[in-house]
Amino acid sequence: MMTETNSKNITENRKVFHTPLADIFATEDIYSVKLEVPGVTKENLNVVIEDDELKITAESSIEENENDLKYADFSVKNFSRTFRVGNDIDRNRIDAKLENGILTLTLHKSEEVKPKKIAINQVN
Amino acid sequence: MYTYNIFNDMIKLRTLFDDFFDQKPGYEASREFPPVRIKEADDKITINALVPGIPTENIDIQLADDSLVISGEKKDDYENHPYIRKERLFGEFKKTIRLPYRVKHDEIKADLANGILTISLSKSEDAKPKKIEIN
Repeated sequence: MMTETNSKNITENRKVFHTPLADIFATEDIYSVKLEVPGVTKENLNVVIEDDELKITAESSIEENENDLKYADFSVKNFSRTFRVGNDIDRNRIDAKLENGILTLTLHKSEEVKPKKIAINQVN
Repeated sequence: MYTYNIFNDMIKLRTLFDDFFDQKPGYEASREFPPVRIKEADDKITINALVPGIPTENIDIQLADDSLVISGEKKDDYENHPYIRKERLFGEFKKTIRLPYRVKHDEIKADLANGILTISLSKSEDAKPKKIEIN
């Protein structure tokens, strides 16, 4: 398949990203996505919806000073996760909330896919 | 203009393999919670712990002799709706960190910001070397 045209960038700028853990639930009106992104601030968080993909990228704000480091369970890395979304999402209505290391995204379903009650007109 | 180069596909395959091994969860779930990073410099210890979504009242920090105990509970925030994905882990936790020396009990600072707990400790006076005068 020759779909990728910018092959010169393949090996450049390879950053290591961690996949943040996520909880997702759906209701009649929304999809709610909750992601764990400790150390991420509003300024270095990016949420982009393009084509059928919702991409969340975030850079950690922990400073890296390897000289003083004695022990580490985790390394300072950036987060990235992509979700495939369907046509039932209203692209203009996505709310994002970042609170204490938890990112909550609310994706509203578009009006066309919501269950709709059809009124019956009484005709005498 | 795009010209086909057979090596591009090989590089892509290599990238795919690299990504498979590099992209793992933010921290390893099998490790003791919370994951920490410990830095030590100039008689000061800084501990960073990842505690996303846990409010300060659910985290308890205790100093016992030369050990620091971080305990608490990560309460689930599930809502009464059908879930498509449940990856996050919840429950009670306790972690003991053995410190390299005794620390000043009255100079302990703990800050919680963006889901990261930062604990600052400084070396106690009686843990520092002391020169003894000979009469």
